[in-house]
Amino acid sequence: MGHKRYRFLGVVAALMVLATACGGSTPSTTTKQYKIGLVTDIGGLNDQSFNHLAYVGLEKAKQDFGIKDDVTESKSGDDYVPNLTHYASLNYDLVIGVGFLMAEAVGTVSGQFPSVHFAIIDGAGTDSKGNDLKHANVESLFFKEQDAGAMVGVIAGWLEKNGKAKKNQHIIGAVGGISIPPVDHYIAGYRWAAKMEDPQINVLVGYSNDFTDSAKCKTVAQSQVQQGADILFQVAGGCGQGVLQEGTQGGVYSIGVDADQKTADPSVIASALKKVDVATYTAIKNVVNGQFAGGALTFEIKNGGAGYAIDNLTVPPELKTELDKIQGQIQSGALVPPSDKTW
Amino acid sequence: MPLGSVVLAFVVGAVIVAVTGGNPFGAYGALICGGFGIACNGENPALQVSNTIVFIIPLITTGVAVALPFRANLFNIGAEGQLIAGSIACTAIGIKFSGLPTPILLPMVLVGGMVAGALWAGVAGVLKATVGAHEVVTTIMMNYIAQWLLRYLIIGGPLQLGPGTSKSQPIGPGARLATILPADNSLIIFGLPASVYRVHTGLLIAIAAAAVFAFLLWRTSLGYEIRAVGQSQKAARYAGVSVRRTIIVTMLIAGAFSGLAGAVQIAGVDHNLTDKYFSDTTGFDAIAVALLGLGSGVGIVLAAILFGALHAGGQVMQADAGISSNLVLILQALILFSIAANFVGAIRQRIPGLAGRPTAMPPELPPSAPLMSEAAEPPPA
Repeated sequence: MGHKRYRFLGVVAALMVLATACGGSTPSTTTKQYKIGLVTDIGGLNDQSFNHLAYVGLEKAKQDFGIKDDVTESKSGDDYVPNLTHYASLNYDLVIGVGFLMAEAVGTVSGQFPSVHFAIIDGAGTDSKGNDLKHANVESLFFKEQDAGAMVGVIAGWLEKNGKAKKNQHIIGAVGGISIPPVDHYIAGYRWAAKMEDPQINVLVGYSNDFTDSAKCKTVAQSQVQQGADILFQVAGGCGQGVLQEGTQGGVYSIGVDADQKTADPSVIASALKKVDVATYTAIKNVVNGQFAGGALTFEIKNGGAGYAIDNLTVPPELKTELDKIQGQIQSGALVPPSDKTW
Repeated sequence: MPLGSVVLAFVVGAVIVAVTGGNPFGAYGALICGGFGIACNGENPALQVSNTIVFIIPLITTGVAVALPFRANLFNIGAEGQLIAGSIACTAIGIKFSGLPTPILLPMVLVGGMVAGALWAGVAGVLKATVGAHEVVTTIMMNYIAQWLLRYLIIGGPLQLGPGTSKSQPIGPGARLATILPADNSLIIFGLPASVYRVHTGLLIAIAAAAVFAFLLWRTSLGYEIRAVGQSQKAARYAGVSVRRTIIVTMLIAGAFSGLAGAVQIAGVDHNLTDKYFSDTTGFDAIAVALLGLGSGVGIVLAAILFGALHAGGQVMQADAGISSNLVLILQALILFSIAANFVGAIRQRIPGLAGRPTAMPPELPPSAPLMSEAAEPPPA
């Protein structure tokens, strides 16, 4: 009955949101107004992560280019295809799907509407076996998560090596959602950088097999704390809230993911950032400038599409120097964080 | 009464939209367009109708799976788990025998789904009939087991498509239900490629399920026994009905309906198991559909149409009118709330001494069911 209960909680939350929010309306004055449709995954706009960041990018593009923007929040996986089809059938100039989970839906709908442009965050338009269909009207917005993972890995490794963490047993943890490429890329960069900083370090990796239920991630985090980990990197979306909470309850540090999660929990010392807002804005800009091209666009430290944020931690100057040095080396290509799953 | 509840919900919903600065007419216009394809402003009506029907199909079949046990005074909260069991069985068979032709494979996957769903619900039925374990508890637990089994199967388990994925292989072409219009990207129908219309022949199966339900309940001796057990187990036993057998059989049939819903969803729409089933709520929405439909076949179909249209229309409403599709959840909750509230009023009238002739009311709402062991008239046709 869990879902039903959440549903009613959702209704209460929705009432509160409705009570505070105002219905927006879009002024339409310009001559050629581009129409952009954004379809979120089931996380919804208030996920403080991908969907929210995509919306931030959309709003910025609206200010800069005067586009007409419309958003649909998918309520279930059944909604992806109809929601994408809705905008495509109305001949929108760009239809953006947020997230890996929509890859197959984008593959299907982009095949039906070859003259409509599509962009998808973190994925490509695929068939049911996950093969990229390489439709010319689909722009895939990928990220080098390992870049962002490496930066927070530097922080974790440096703290362990210099005895600035909570227990300093040279054990840190990472809690992934499902073992899919974006999640594993983050963890690969994190492990690599932490080991580079502190060769003695032991990186525990666990998966909750879930992206939404924070209790499941908390269980994994607790077991890592029991094994001596004192810095936990969550790579599990909404589920990862449980990791951040375990940070405070278990008396350890935690690291956020995707968006800046500073306010999610006092234990969050840093966040690995995947700048979905930059990617979304870029995709819209390309359409407005007539530069849309099918295929992959990669966002990384080099082009400002990935990075990190320092949160509830006072950074010692030596660590700051180290971070700047590593970031510079990744930018110049002298260091290349790995993306392979080797654990 | 259900109609009144729906109207009341929409009125309150309009007030909420207006108070929060939105335009209720714009919101409901888009909702109706998205739900029923009428009063559209540029959207393709055929596309809207098609999308709504795709949502309606599983709601009808799972609605039946909740309504039937209600009649036996059993509360099946496990429709979701049974649906997942059915979808797992359908997918496993559809992959394993993917080379077989449609006339053989399609019946196999559908029957396989029904059997799996029946077994899933049958566990709860047997436990209820033998050791008296409450079916609410056991069906909820079986939901969790189904969801975790699914998780295992497609993340690291035998059905996983490949490393790093959270879905299964697609089922063979022979295991798929045909769409009503040809799934052809180049054929233009109603101004859009024919493949965007996803309505599939599972619609006929769902309608047949509702018809079978009505026939079974009112035209067979088993249906009579189910109703008798629902009204009073003691009286049924005195009349020679095997209560245990009836409970088990009822749950088996209900599970078969849910399992069929899951199999049809795989065979008709998804063609593979995906992580969307982790957060699927069809089996829970089915409880609302069964309540709103007053437990009759026609009523369930009508309630499913309403809920399917609300689901599809809510998405269009957000896209077109900028009103959060969460409004739809509010409308659904208000509908259920006012049904429950009316029901409480009706119950009060039936307290001995105050009782007049009861107006037609659904003898299905389980928490109150023990209070009303005599109320068992057929629902209004």
